[in-house]
Amino acid sequence: MSHGDTVPLHPSSQSDIDEIENLINISAHSSVLPAKPQSPPRASIPISSSPFISSNIPQPSYQPQQQQQQSKPKPQSQSLPVPPVLPISNISPNSNGMSGFGSPVNTLTEPVWDTVKRDLSRIVSNLKLVVFPNPNREDPGKALRDWDLWGPFFFIVFLGLVLSWSASVKKSEVFAVAFALLAAGAIILTLNVLLLGGHIIFFQSLSLLGYCLFPLDVGALICMLKDNVILKVVVVCVTLAWSSWSAYPFMSSAVNPRRKALALYPVLLMYVSVGFLIIAID
Amino acid sequence: MDPNQTVGENYANPKTCFFHVLFKAGALAFYILSALFFNSFVIIFVVTVLLAALDFWVVKNVSGRILVGLRWENEINDLGESVWKFECLDQESLARMNKKDSWLFWWTLYLTAVAWIFLGIFSLIRFQADYLLVVGVCVSLSIANIVGFTRCRKDAKKQIQQFASQTIASRMSSTIQSAFSVV
Repeated sequence: MSHGDTVPLHPSSQSDIDEIENLINISAHSSVLPAKPQSPPRASIPISSSPFISSNIPQPSYQPQQQQQQSKPKPQSQSLPVPPVLPISNISPNSNGMSGFGSPVNTLTEPVWDTVKRDLSRIVSNLKLVVFPNPNREDPGKALRDWDLWGPFFFIVFLGLVLSWSASVKKSEVFAVAFALLAAGAIILTLNVLLLGGHIIFFQSLSLLGYCLFPLDVGALICMLKDNVILKVVVVCVTLAWSSWSAYPFMSSAVNPRRKALALYPVLLMYVSVGFLIIAID
Repeated sequence: MDPNQTVGENYANPKTCFFHVLFKAGALAFYILSALFFNSFVIIFVVTVLLAALDFWVVKNVSGRILVGLRWENEINDLGESVWKFECLDQESLARMNKKDSWLFWWTLYLTAVAWIFLGIFSLIRFQADYLLVVGVCVSLSIANIVGFTRCRKDAKKQIQQFASQTIASRMSSTIQSAFSVV
């Protein structure tokens, strides 16, 4: 704004920008942060950390700006059809009244460390939601709301690595087979649910199936460390049951109740085959 | 003011550009050169895919924001529907973006995808299914980023146009109002 001399702006657009500034100053009455980091000439990431923003605040506390023509409609299709008051596209629903510009500036200019922390905490919370008992399990749509694929990625790679380490021969092939089996299995299971007429989102389901591998990861690790067959069978059975138990609510509620078994059986089958792979590796 | 910006010839964010290119080049280089050093497929797979995943994260979260001021997310709303969200900086910041930065950003994005597809064809010809797996993962990561950012850019342009027309409309109406109030 005050650095307009660095960019050749048309004189009329400069006055537009001043008008916008005035609007911001009027409407940003509850700003916790300054409305914009003081116009850096280039988009630099501030050193100081901005407040931690969770990425899914369901109720938008969106400031009714003066120029807003209509209230924000419920998001229906692909992109949020929010008319921008200011030239920022798609004020996302996690605008928590921070500033007149809303949260896009905050997630766009947040320090890198904040992004890392946010992603890491998302992984941990997803893991806790899926694998451990918690009150949200009955409502699957709510539970894995902000899915991410990092957790599943790490778990699948970890399982492949553990299986590969446990194998005494053909390590590379074991790894490749394990990875391909798990990845293709997750995709096929999701397709299965979709073809059964279920309501599930592709990536959400992939994410869920990946997170449910966590117990099997633990089981495989234990089996790698201790070589007793009986122990292996017991451990694998326990972790298999745990995995299936964590996958159950999401899968079963996604489809018609009459088709629950059709959706669940392949999941069980896949986990059983992974369990056999863990036991049989020597 | 920032001398880099007024000169307009240098990169405005050299460190970010460096990281943006680093992981991409690292993944490609490691994949190509690893056959010379490592016998084990597992290491090649894990390191390449790890570098590609890191690159994906860096591009999506860091260099996309800094170099071109765009960001895309996919979230699930209360109704359980998948929603794409795009964010971009305001128009004047976008206009202030370094041209070289954005040129580098887009071109490396496209070039890596092309390079991975090329390597994939290569391994397909040699019937190496496991290397095809690696290449498949890397290709899908690159393409995901390309698709996300292209949609984000189109969305940003649309929003800017919408905003421009809204501003014109509102200015006209305020001018008319002030004209009437004078009378």
